[in-house]
Amino acid sequence: MLGFAARRLAASLVLVWVVASLVFLVIHLIPGDPAELLLSQGGVAPDPASVADLRAHLGLDRPLGAQYLTYLNGLLHFDFGTSLQDEHPVAEDIVLRLPRTLELVGVAGLLAVVIGLPLGVMAALRSGQLVDRILSNLAGLALSVPVFVVGTLLVLVLAQKLHWVPAGGFVALSVNPLRHFGLLMMPAGTIALGLAAVVFRVTRGAALEVLERDHVRAAQARGASPAVIIRRHVVRNAATSVITVVGLHLGALLGGTVLVEYVFNWPGLSGYLVLAVEARDYPAVLAIVLVISALFVLLNLIVELLYGVIDPRVRRA
Amino acid sequence: MVMSVNRRSLIAGAAALPFLRMPGARAATPGVLTFGLSAPPAAIQPWANNGTAAATIKLMIHRGLVSFDPAGNLRGELAESWTREGDHAWVFKLRDAKFQNGEKVTSADVKWTIEQIAAEKSTAYFRNEMQQIEKVETPDDLTVRFVTKKPLATLPIWMASYHLPICSRNSAKGTFVGAGPFVLKEQERGVSIDLEAFPGYYKKGLPKLKGIRVIAYADENLRVAALQSGDIDLIEYVPWQAMTAISDNPKLKLDAVEGAFMFLVFNGSKPPFNDPRVRRAVGHAIKRDELVKAAFFGRGAALEHLPIADSSAFFNPEFKNGWAYDPAMSKKLLAEAGFASGITCSLLSTAQYGMHKDTAEVVQQHIAAVGINVTLNLPDWATRVAIGNRGQYDMAVMGTAADSNDPDGIAALIDGSLSPSYVRSFGVKTEKITELLAAGRAELDDAKRKAIYRDLEKVAIEEAPLVGLTWRSQGYGMRKGVTGFQNMPGALTFYSGLTFETASVD
Repeated sequence: MLGFAARRLAASLVLVWVVASLVFLVIHLIPGDPAELLLSQGGVAPDPASVADLRAHLGLDRPLGAQYLTYLNGLLHFDFGTSLQDEHPVAEDIVLRLPRTLELVGVAGLLAVVIGLPLGVMAALRSGQLVDRILSNLAGLALSVPVFVVGTLLVLVLAQKLHWVPAGGFVALSVNPLRHFGLLMMPAGTIALGLAAVVFRVTRGAALEVLERDHVRAAQARGASPAVIIRRHVVRNAATSVITVVGLHLGALLGGTVLVEYVFNWPGLSGYLVLAVEARDYPAVLAIVLVISALFVLLNLIVELLYGVIDPRVRRA
Repeated sequence: MVMSVNRRSLIAGAAALPFLRMPGARAATPGVLTFGLSAPPAAIQPWANNGTAAATIKLMIHRGLVSFDPAGNLRGELAESWTREGDHAWVFKLRDAKFQNGEKVTSADVKWTIEQIAAEKSTAYFRNEMQQIEKVETPDDLTVRFVTKKPLATLPIWMASYHLPICSRNSAKGTFVGAGPFVLKEQERGVSIDLEAFPGYYKKGLPKLKGIRVIAYADENLRVAALQSGDIDLIEYVPWQAMTAISDNPKLKLDAVEGAFMFLVFNGSKPPFNDPRVRRAVGHAIKRDELVKAAFFGRGAALEHLPIADSSAFFNPEFKNGWAYDPAMSKKLLAEAGFASGITCSLLSTAQYGMHKDTAEVVQQHIAAVGINVTLNLPDWATRVAIGNRGQYDMAVMGTAADSNDPDGIAALIDGSLSPSYVRSFGVKTEKITELLAAGRAELDDAKRKAIYRDLEKVAIEEAPLVGLTWRSQGYGMRKGVTGFQNMPGALTFYSGLTFETASVD
């Protein structure tokens, strides 16, 4: 088992290095000069001498290879560098913003399971009936509406028309817990809607399959109560598929909450990534992508290790 | 009484949580104004140009020697008066004012500030301009004498720029202590900035506010929604499509001016736009009224001449329709230039900002009617800037505001002798324009200056170093309870942050 874990860890580290190098190359290849951008905001012409001085100050005039080595050396010492915009340490911003994105994604995942799982089981138990058809169609609708449409509609109705919640923004949990959760509910709900539809479909499919199995039929024949059958057989079997699907989606959401963070002004990591790309803030872009990909790789590593624990054949593969 | 909480009631309570009416994001503290900014400032450095969002914050924290009053006229700030001494010197008399560290503002601070800006490795916006100052003399604590290398009519206007605030020479390294009405208290990069009133501000009774909370709302729709739902008190950059809704809302008010403008720039280093007749042909092919309707929801005005507002003393009515819509003239000019059969080229703009993209699309349609067929190139803003600076385009859409309401404020847009930049045409050099700009800067007599800029506009209409498209409305939306804040006129709209000192909120 230890050998297996070590092999997987080594592969993951190589993967992170490949991602870091690729992103470094790509961000430097696309047009746009951070020094030029920084000095030409608001539609003004910067002085070329000032741009050159700023480039030298930021170390952007050095050969790309030298910049790459500095970057890798920094990574080995867990140093993400400083923002090209105001020389603020990038790590501090990531430490501040990552938990917000994790919270958003986590709460959305939780909401999706709480909504999608019971409804999926209910639809499977009433397969083909009116409830099933209504729920399945609603799930189809929820899956096909883009998040920015859902988000904008929520802002329009709940904030602008009904004045139930603020239009967007962020207040730290430590400052005002009630307002914090109030502001969290709309973006989390927006993400959860599509995810709940996925959970619903996976649960419904898995439950239908389980309900057809012999041991479930035998349990029914023995006179086991429906509640016991649902809890012991249906939910337990469906849970494996649901966890896999939710896990994969949450991983993708780590860097994919851009639109929701934008629409609701939630200051998470994805929004920071967009700002950094717009400004060609190389250290910030590199650090954020690296953190997101490392988390993604970590999630996969955990899943693989868990598979190894559950099924010993995987370890020998 | 015993309260019992069972699982069902807990779940029901949790499910109802999102539907409880939550208090808005609006600060509960009385006297604190919440301001929705259109973009988080990249950095807040006093002398660098970090964009208009940063400039608005700078106007809260800092003051220069001079500034503008709400009517747009120059007024003293840290300087209570200024006079010319001969042709080569300006003398500024300082008033009794304090920096936010409690120290007195002295002539030594002014000298130190100018030296920092003009320094060899400085990235200050006014570094080049400050090279024209030969020396800064400080005869006493409250007198500063600028000796210039040649006559410099525009020095007081430069001193009013938000890129030229006076900072304490005793500021700790990397910090810049200002003498403005608000002190920067706390900021979270890219999210929010909290400022509180500076009790030692030199204007008695100001600022009226206890503080300002600035929140960046990059999404324009959310910015408007936040104002309409009462979360915030004031927003900048009201999107044009939302202006009517705000002005019609009984709880809100709109303050809009025609300050910024859109125009076209050209690559004059190669055919076809190295020929001024082709550039003028483009100017005569565009129906500006339709452009204002399509790109700015009617919130703007046609711009068929150099971007000098008709309220300016330097406005020349004889050139008002210099590039007016005239397709016959357009075709005639193309034929004279040898392009009677038409032109195929590219039009650079950006998909990142709606106003740039929409303008490009309308221009594309209009000029196709006279035989100029363009392919749109719409990269992100950073790429657009890089392409523009390197001249890798034929024609490009640009939008900005002048540096000031003085005609020298558009020098950077039309002076082809300056280094290549995306804000002006690439390789369009007209010596006469450069000469007239220099003459206008050096001329101290108002009537003579006016004549110089009239000649300049005449040459510009013929040479078309840029082609004006539209003035665009620049609006602030606010609750009716906000008073004392004002959108500054014309090109000074981005200086409206000056009026935070007189703003109050109920």
